[in-house]
Amino acid sequence: MTNLQQLLREIRNLKPVPAVTAQLIQVADDPGSSMEDIANVIQYDPVITAEILKTCNSAYFGLKHPAESIKDAVSMLGIDQVTELALMKSASGSLKDRQKGYGTQPGDLWRYSVACAVIAKKSASILGLADKNTLFTAALLKDIGKIILDTHVLKSSDMIDRLVADKGLSFREAEKKIFGIDHAELGALMLKMWKFSPRMVKIIRHHHLSDEKMIKDRETGIVYLSDCVCMMMGIGLGKDGLSYRFRQEVMKELGLSADDISLIIADFGVQMQQIEQLLNIV
Amino acid sequence: MEHIVGVADMKVSNRPGETLVTYSLGSCIGVVIYDPVVKAGGILHYMLPDSSIDEQKAVAKPYMFADSGIPRLFKAAYKLGALKHRIKVYVAGGAEILDQKGFFNIGKRNYMALKKIFFKNNVMVDKQDVGGNVNRTVRLEIATGDIYIKICGSEDMKI
Repeated sequence: MTNLQQLLREIRNLKPVPAVTAQLIQVADDPGSSMEDIANVIQYDPVITAEILKTCNSAYFGLKHPAESIKDAVSMLGIDQVTELALMKSASGSLKDRQKGYGTQPGDLWRYSVACAVIAKKSASILGLADKNTLFTAALLKDIGKIILDTHVLKSSDMIDRLVADKGLSFREAEKKIFGIDHAELGALMLKMWKFSPRMVKIIRHHHLSDEKMIKDRETGIVYLSDCVCMMMGIGLGKDGLSYRFRQEVMKELGLSADDISLIIADFGVQMQQIEQLLNIV
Repeated sequence: MEHIVGVADMKVSNRPGETLVTYSLGSCIGVVIYDPVVKAGGILHYMLPDSSIDEQKAVAKPYMFADSGIPRLFKAAYKLGALKHRIKVYVAGGAEILDQKGFFNIGKRNYMALKKIFFKNNVMVDKQDVGGNVNRTVRLEIATGDIYIKICGSEDMKI
């Protein structure tokens, strides 16, 4: 079993996802917020501001006049697009590296996370949930625990492979059995230390629905659903692949049939090119 | 030169210097076909079994579905001189999440759709690597017809 103290030390040594993220989600999901409120939160972080302006002025958006401030960017591209960019910018630093233990190449986990985030946001709109930026970010950050657990997974890879291949455990169950903590719980711990909201921490912790009581929680259900869709689409998957558990009850809770899932997948197929372009510029 | 066949995409070739590759199949299916006489082949990467769920998308992106994509793959190869009775077929992908059952099991439904279409049209699969919980990448060398499969976490394997 891996010492929890050791994991906590590793988290403290990690550069956290910037605090502006947590604030931004709160403001963006408040229907009373104005464009100015959003701009004010982002401006508070000069690094993210500079990066967003650079991205906004890239050929991808084809703006006629360059955006010179976050306010310009918000009025030209809209609140949704700028919020999305800011959330992605703040998470990209942590998720772009290679994970040797999970068998992903540089950029794989990032691609997977962005795809999940886009699907979660879209599903939230379809299902009429108001907090789509919370769900976008939760889906984006849900696997952040993997960046700490990775070196441990690498060291124990034979043992994990045996538990998954021979004993029929899911990859998460194997992590839990070997380390006493899985990547979902570890990710929740990280976000808690970085002062994210209890709601966000809850969704990350339960995003594989290891606790059956969480099946009725619609927010967690949506992030779970987006994870399943991304696994099926295979984009950026590691050696853990599709070795997680499918909970059909969640789809019932969300009121989704198998055809609805197919439609979400088909939509994603159309959006893929857009996502790839976005990935290239962030 | 390597050409990537994207998700919901198809490519054929008869240029000896080319390799076709499709990444990250997951529950999607990669159909690889090759005629060794004219040395022409192609790969289709489809996502879903049946285009009837969204006919507009089937028009815009026919390679997204088994029923609209598979016939187009074969027709494109015929245009390069391939003949049906000489074509070798390899199928990969169709993976599933643990406990994914019935209609929710998209990987299995993707595979069943292919079997149905092949059965109707008298096409035999020569080799396949389908199902399980792994993510696959498939590569076809046009000059030789050699096919390589890579499962995430393992090395490239020649079929």
